[in-house]
Amino acid sequence: MELEHIQKIALIGFFGATIFGAIASRTQFCTMGAISDWINMGSLTRFRVWFLAMGLALVVTQILYLTGSIDLGESIYHTTSFTWLGYIFGGLLFGIGMTIASGCGQRTVVRLGGGNLKSLIVLLVMGLTAYMTLRGILSIPRLFINDPTTWQFSDAGLASQGLHDILSRFTGLSPSNIAVILTVIIGGAAVVFAFLDRQVWSRFDNLLAGIGIGLLIAGAWYTTGVIGYDDFDPIQLEGVSFISPVGNTISYLMTFTGATINFGIAIVLGTLFGSFIYSLITGNFRIESFSDTSDLVNHIIGAILMGFGGVLALGCTIGQGITGMSTLALSSIFSLGSIILGCIFTLKVQYNLLDDLGFWKAVKVTSLEMLGRKSSDE
Amino acid sequence: MTDTTQFLDARKLNCPLPILKAKKTINGMKSGETLKILATDPGAVRDFEAFANQTGHKLLESTTMDSEFHFILQKA
Repeated sequence: MELEHIQKIALIGFFGATIFGAIASRTQFCTMGAISDWINMGSLTRFRVWFLAMGLALVVTQILYLTGSIDLGESIYHTTSFTWLGYIFGGLLFGIGMTIASGCGQRTVVRLGGGNLKSLIVLLVMGLTAYMTLRGILSIPRLFINDPTTWQFSDAGLASQGLHDILSRFTGLSPSNIAVILTVIIGGAAVVFAFLDRQVWSRFDNLLAGIGIGLLIAGAWYTTGVIGYDDFDPIQLEGVSFISPVGNTISYLMTFTGATINFGIAIVLGTLFGSFIYSLITGNFRIESFSDTSDLVNHIIGAILMGFGGVLALGCTIGQGITGMSTLALSSIFSLGSIILGCIFTLKVQYNLLDDLGFWKAVKVTSLEMLGRKSSDE
Repeated sequence: MTDTTQFLDARKLNCPLPILKAKKTINGMKSGETLKILATDPGAVRDFEAFANQTGHKLLESTTMDSEFHFILQKA
């Protein structure tokens, strides 16, 4: 059977994602976990590993861009429509959601591969919510938020929302020169920040996670942009993400006989397969379920927030956090910052809830804490 | 088997709840007292090792029994 062009690209994506899933499973690569380690333990090691992955992905992606191998203008991250409120609000919702749902989209896929059935529920609810936000009933609130707040960068004569184009306009330097400077500053700072911690460079798993995941995410651009390049049979330039692709995967599996696979679906399925195989081989596969009703409710709420927020923010911790950042898109900085802020806030609320304060009191105390003030009720 | 002062059942809870609950419980304990924790999240082993390393509390035990992880932390 001769594979179509898109199927070949999807197959390469599937194999790459299988390695991604195995690495993420082995090393517990998790953005929420990294923020939790920082906030709850004062340990930045996992956060540094995450930055190593982001920094490397950025450097390799920018090399692909600078050598003319890929045209980032073809990606969804470099549109001229800048939905700033969606990035901020969606990012906050996503950050809250991933904290109460035990991890972001990528982590949920990896957990499911290891036998966690909570993750199956989270994935289904998150994927359906994302699909509804893209194409269904939830596109109404999405458009309600985005339509009046969209900035059209093209009105200002900008070719994209890439930092190359924006800074080129203000400095007079060429976009390529800006890309080189930003790659050295942002990519370099991320890698140096990572390697300042001995735990990062002296532990194999940390190096494997940072380097392996960074390179695989950049490899996605190479796969769709270089291997996948075909004048006669063009495919979308696409990176790794776990929100819309999860919704598309559910749709694909339900309409399989009349549907065509794409790169994003292959990434989701490959990551799941890699994690599953790794947990089987290492004997770590175990069925996990909800502890009680409130655990189920929390995970469902988290999944809805991730599905809706992830689409508004144009991606998740991987989709915007690493893939988007690797393209130097302005939206990625807005979304990633908001995701981190939402996660920190929720971690602190969860901690304060353990004092039996009640939900709203915990939210109030946490808000005051984050503003550097004490609650007057204390 | 060490006699423990406090007990925390974190089974069926996923990150970050086991660490959050352990941190809250241990904050209310005196130096030298011990906390026994049961967990089922595969990430708990790494998390409690990192928690002990970072906070200075001593991880006296980290064992796996019947798909459950057992930890004993001694407050610094």
